[in-house]
Amino acid sequence: MPEITYLEAISDGLREEMRRDESVFCMGEDIGEFGGAFKVTDGFFEEFGADRVWDTPLAENAIVGAAVGAAVEGLRPVCEMQFADFIACGFDQLVNVAGKMYYRQGLAVPMVVRLPSGGGFSGGPFHSQNPEAWFLQSPGLKVVAPSTAEDAKGLLASAIRDPNPVLYLEHKNLYRRVKGDVPEGRYETPMGELRVAREGTDLTVVSYGAMVHTALEATEDIDGASIEVLDLRTLCPLDRDGILESVRKTSKVVVLHEATRSCGVGAEVSSLIAEEAFEDLDGPVVRVTAPDVPIPFSPPLERAVLPQVDDVRKACHDLLAY
Amino acid sequence: MPQMGVSVAEGTITAWRKRPGDWVERDEVIVEISTDKVETEVPSPAAGRVAELVVEEGATVDVGTLLATIDTGSKPGQPHADESDPPPPAEEAEANGNGKAPPVSPVVRRIADEHSVELSAVSGTGRRGRVTKKDLLAFLEQGAAKPAERPLHIESPYKEEPAPQPATPAEAAPTGEGERLSVMRRQIGEHMVRSLHEAAHCTTIVEADMTAIEAARGRLSYLPLVARATIAALREHPRLNATLEGDRLTVHDEVHLGIAVSLGEEGLIVPVVRNAHELSHEGLGARIKDLAARARSKQLSPDEVGGATFTITNPGRYGALLATPIINQPQVAILDLEAVVKRPVVVTDGQGGDSIAIRPMTYFCMSWDHRALDGVGAAEFLGSVKRHVEGWSD
Repeated sequence: MPEITYLEAISDGLREEMRRDESVFCMGEDIGEFGGAFKVTDGFFEEFGADRVWDTPLAENAIVGAAVGAAVEGLRPVCEMQFADFIACGFDQLVNVAGKMYYRQGLAVPMVVRLPSGGGFSGGPFHSQNPEAWFLQSPGLKVVAPSTAEDAKGLLASAIRDPNPVLYLEHKNLYRRVKGDVPEGRYETPMGELRVAREGTDLTVVSYGAMVHTALEATEDIDGASIEVLDLRTLCPLDRDGILESVRKTSKVVVLHEATRSCGVGAEVSSLIAEEAFEDLDGPVVRVTAPDVPIPFSPPLERAVLPQVDDVRKACHDLLAY
Repeated sequence: MPQMGVSVAEGTITAWRKRPGDWVERDEVIVEISTDKVETEVPSPAAGRVAELVVEEGATVDVGTLLATIDTGSKPGQPHADESDPPPPAEEAEANGNGKAPPVSPVVRRIADEHSVELSAVSGTGRRGRVTKKDLLAFLEQGAAKPAERPLHIESPYKEEPAPQPATPAEAAPTGEGERLSVMRRQIGEHMVRSLHEAAHCTTIVEADMTAIEAARGRLSYLPLVARATIAALREHPRLNATLEGDRLTVHDEVHLGIAVSLGEEGLIVPVVRNAHELSHEGLGARIKDLAARARSKQLSPDEVGGATFTITNPGRYGALLATPIINQPQVAILDLEAVVKRPVVVTDGQGGDSIAIRPMTYFCMSWDHRALDGVGAAEFLGSVKRHVEGWSD
């Protein structure tokens, strides 16, 4: 298995699906000859041609809307938002049209919207957001957020083959930072199944995306405690059983995400645990998240806003001592 | 007042070692306390200056009562805090020692309930001394689980009747290696040794003719009828329907009758027929049957295994003639029913003529606590039981 970056794994996954299925095609801003803002589709224009690698106007509503139409007609579009933040412009087509098509008309909408998300590189308030929670409140959409190169490829394949609209959150800070052994050829990572990134018995850190790596680093050695790290991988549908199984084992939980705090994945996971595993808890469920503020440009301010290794270590340390 | 043992409910301040204003180190002896079980020196839960002694020497107070406050904000050698300065709250002292225990998490509560663990017996390493799940699991691992409020006592090693669901056989230990006693066995052992150590045991035996009972019992066992006769005798001799704790004898108005139920090799348990004096022998029979069945299927509630005022143990069906049971503390007596066997006995008719007849006979063996009563009282009581049994009429 070759070791490739998270970014290369996304490209690889997309390329394999386009080779496998002629109905799969890409659309987005500057994804053609330029190869995309982050070069995910570098070389695609040459291999698949202009018919399957579309450059679009700067109009996210049009990109998503066109993809909905194409998907209903039987194609499998993969849209790229240049930054996840811009999905706000395509919100109506996604939430009101794509997400409700099957409910209203019984039509499948097999489309994927790739969302380069997250901060950590001084991108400021419009290029650093983690918008997953917006879509968790919109029935009809699935949301995935891989943290490893292997899952980045496998989940993209699953997302493309799924008959529902899927939001694929790819964390920009992982693009070239994270590498991993990725199987060649085609494979799928099942949606709705979390991954146990590290097994443990004393405390569970529930996370996804880039924060999985923060969690692993932070909990490598906290006074010798055995700390389990869960990588949710899919945020909708959530692997409720997998979460509860871990809680029943460790009885202490920290939920960690880079997105803002209120009504986020952490809130959802916490209330799931409170409802289903109350009698297994040995301490409060603790959230470590960004506060409810925009992401600052200033590097020290951004570090203060986004959860850091030390924040996670302190939260775990305190909860272990509770 | 710290909890000094599962069954200790109160303690008496024997002597204060510190006075208000004195500096005390953490774990330094601050007070001497006596309970009905032990005399002990109690270490300070925190370092600080003694702010107030709330309970005076000689006073007896319940476990959990605030005894003193310690000002943890001052330093050794520092003068006392001014009266105008509000004393900083003695948080640690209250949380660790004198005050209420920190809250218990749901999982700890659940596991403690499942294993009948008294949490005050578990030392907590969590914040403010909270018992964590780890603490509790480690405690259980040590096999120190103590079923709360389970009055257990020993009887002769016989089953009253075969258990409907036989106990799981213990795993065969390899030859030469011992096998650690089960929690229940250890608990029974502890209880029995303590009773023997505390009570002045004495056993009195009377012989009784069971002819009238035999005629009346129909399909019932002897037990409910003898229990009924025993209750009638307890009403006549209430000093036997009593509990002795420390030097305090409590004579009870109601008869709560403990009935020893064997659980096979596992051990035994003593469920209680509450207000047994209100029941007929049929009622007693039904209640005893129900309690025994639920005891064997482990469905008794804690309320059903505590608070007896007198206990009957009944291994008679296995043919033994005599036994000297151990008193179920804190009661003052326990009645043992052994086998009923036919024997030739001398009977006297209405005109005073003697003859030899074949009669179902038994011995009532009662162990009693010589601290609470004397031999005459025991013999009078047993005579009363015998009279009710021999003169049984529905």
